[in-house]
Amino acid sequence: MIYPKTITVVGANGTMGANVSAIFASFGNARVYMVSRDKEKSKKAAIKSAKSVKADAITANLIAADYSMLADCVKSSDLVFESAAENLDLKIELHTKIGQSLKKGAVACTGSSGLSITRLAECYPEETRSQFFGVHMFNPPYQLTLCELTASPYSDMAMYAELKEYLTNTLFRTVAESKDLPAFLGNRIGFYVMNEALQYAERYQDNGGIDYIDSLLGPFTGRTMPPITTADFVGLDVHKAIVDNIYENTNDYVHNKFVLPEYVQKLIDQKKLGRKTGEGLYKLIKNDSGDKRMMVYDIKLGIYRDEIKYTFPFALQMKQYLRDGDYDDAIRVLINNKSQEADICLRFLLRYIVYALYTAEHVGYDLRVADDVMATGFTWCPPFAMMEAFTRVCDLGQLMKDRLKPEIVNAVDIDHIIGEQIKSKYDYRIYFKAK
Amino acid sequence: MEKKVYIMGGAQTDFERNWTKEGKNMIALLKEAVEDGFKDAGFTMDEMVRLNKENRVAAFVGNFIAEQYISQGHLGAFLTEVNPAFYGVPSARYEAACASSSVALDAAITKIEAGEYDVCIVVGWEIMKSVDSKKGGDILGRAAYYEKEGKGVDLPFPKLFGRLADATIEKYGLDKDRYLNALAKISCINYANAKRNPLAQTRKWFMSYEEATHRGTESNPNVGGLLGVSDCSQVTDGAAVVVLCSEKYLKEKGLKDLAFVKGYGHRTAPLLFDKKIADNANSEYVLPWTRQACLDAYKRAGLTVDDIDVFETHDCFSSSEFAAISAFGIAEPGKECEAIENGVIAFEGAKPINPSGGLIGCGHPVGASGARMFVDLYKQVTGKAGRYQVKGAKNGMMLNIGGSATTNYVFIVGKA
Repeated sequence: MIYPKTITVVGANGTMGANVSAIFASFGNARVYMVSRDKEKSKKAAIKSAKSVKADAITANLIAADYSMLADCVKSSDLVFESAAENLDLKIELHTKIGQSLKKGAVACTGSSGLSITRLAECYPEETRSQFFGVHMFNPPYQLTLCELTASPYSDMAMYAELKEYLTNTLFRTVAESKDLPAFLGNRIGFYVMNEALQYAERYQDNGGIDYIDSLLGPFTGRTMPPITTADFVGLDVHKAIVDNIYENTNDYVHNKFVLPEYVQKLIDQKKLGRKTGEGLYKLIKNDSGDKRMMVYDIKLGIYRDEIKYTFPFALQMKQYLRDGDYDDAIRVLINNKSQEADICLRFLLRYIVYALYTAEHVGYDLRVADDVMATGFTWCPPFAMMEAFTRVCDLGQLMKDRLKPEIVNAVDIDHIIGEQIKSKYDYRIYFKAK
Repeated sequence: MEKKVYIMGGAQTDFERNWTKEGKNMIALLKEAVEDGFKDAGFTMDEMVRLNKENRVAAFVGNFIAEQYISQGHLGAFLTEVNPAFYGVPSARYEAACASSSVALDAAITKIEAGEYDVCIVVGWEIMKSVDSKKGGDILGRAAYYEKEGKGVDLPFPKLFGRLADATIEKYGLDKDRYLNALAKISCINYANAKRNPLAQTRKWFMSYEEATHRGTESNPNVGGLLGVSDCSQVTDGAAVVVLCSEKYLKEKGLKDLAFVKGYGHRTAPLLFDKKIADNANSEYVLPWTRQACLDAYKRAGLTVDDIDVFETHDCFSSSEFAAISAFGIAEPGKECEAIENGVIAFEGAKPINPSGGLIGCGHPVGASGARMFVDLYKQVTGKAGRYQVKGAKNGMMLNIGGSATTNYVFIVGKA
């Protein structure tokens, strides 16, 4: 059984690097070398790190270091976790260096959200190549427990099993085993929905665009945050990197849904990357008196304007039912309301279920993994739980055939995809919010 | 107890949830809890309607203080909003601060014992995340003598249970550090147990012995005398439902192997904390009336501590769990530290306390906590506790307290 006492986190000053260091130092009770370009930055990251798990006591486990110390840190470590920027060349350089010092029997892993694990494994000398894995956690990991675990063809599968056990039982991660395919599972499903929402915003720009689409895919549709707001939160550069990677390296029935809309590229070119730069798809303005005003990028006009508070009758009715805990009635409204907005919303949810299960079948090893990734990586109502919410009130297969476009119904065997009656371990009621 | 009262089943909501953030109201909370509780018990709305025609079913609602949290009273009547099947079913609200749902349980059990009803539904609930922590702390002050112990005091309850810590150290002449380390261990056990409970509030949270003994820091500030945040249970939203039935109903339906109520104890200690502590001068116990409630339950059940395989206690603070250890009879009064240090109360120990995580780990929606403990005992003695199942548990005992250990309720449940 793996129980790493000493761990090196490379790129520890980034948000993810600091937060992952905290997971190792807290639940893992390991000594963690936090390596970044600048030791002072590593020190600051250690403080952030302890705050992320609300435990000052773990700072005793966090040791600030810089790249000049990398070889020594790696040599003394039982596990090395790379959390550098999502850039293949940079990661190749780092893993080549780590490979020069990695102990026999120690674990090396990358936190990459979707680069090739096999390619990175090849940075290691033959004798330690089998010790390398993909361990993709979601941000913030203290709140989101998802961890996608990926082996390469070179991996030592006994070590893989031990690593899975460590991640599950010591670090309390929800481990989703994924094949080494672009963006793995969670992001492939999640960013499909988010990018399609961005495409829809462009298509419906005369109706308002971004805030129009977000308003009809709000928390009442089984998530905490609407999908375009999520893209803004993630950062448009990160969003682009993920969807471009999937577009270039995969080819399934939703291939063109991973094309980044032009207006998003324009915002990226203007360095309007989202929440982290103060403006992107949305822009929060605080005036001198402290009042906040949410602006949104109007695709048609090419300017920021006040966010519109849409009141769609179907959404109002759904929220009213959800407020009283009448989930079946809320779903019935969604199915039976004839407005354009209810139709867009319903079809988004149905397409999400279909693509999540399709992806789980192709990228995962077990269909249930679709639930784990969406519930614990995105806090979206996971597909099997959502299926349960629908099947309580309708024939879901028939609904999909009736409402989804022929290109989906013809590309995917609907009866097969929803045929497996798997009882979700997640409760759909938690995810459909009255907001 | 003379007539057996059987436990058909029960359920609790996910204590991690914040219903205000979800935009949902008390009706949604009650609907989900009742639906899940009925499902577990194999009881239906149609069956309730049938029984109600003959006046054989009643409902008992435990809630502390919804008047303050969500401006709502007349809580017994709200089940009629859950489902029309409740129309005409006798129902009322019962209150004893954090022991509210135990009073509701007691009333339900008594009605069945008396032969008045054949099925009784107990619902304990509280919505607390509707207000901020300062306001919430003030509201909870009404579980003490508000005018004398709560009004104008910032977080009155951590302070009262901090005083219980002081009183315990003083009464037994304990080494302060050893005592505080034992309290830290109690917190750690509860947090660790909660990791196995899929409905526990803190199941994703981190706690370690280092952090729990690291009191007085930014992440673990002192909140009441010697106690740090790590010594406190956290308020949350939640509900728990229990469905009880009579022997007559059991036979009528051919139900088999149900757990039943073996005994109870109910004692009320002096309300004011100073009087409570002054009152223990002639007792070996720091909380003599809590001990007496346990003794009463043992006597009614014809059992001793040796017969009990699993305990759920009211660890609103680690100092109250400490006092419960001797009240249960797991250790001699003043010798609680040994039971903690030797692993007796740990999950794998001889007398595991709070395999659910307790109030510290599972969460404390005050009006729901008694019913939640009762549901957990039922799960344990029927082998339904999943990953937090105590192997081979036959008898379980719970202690639910209201105020500063003022109202003391104990139940013992088990199988034949």
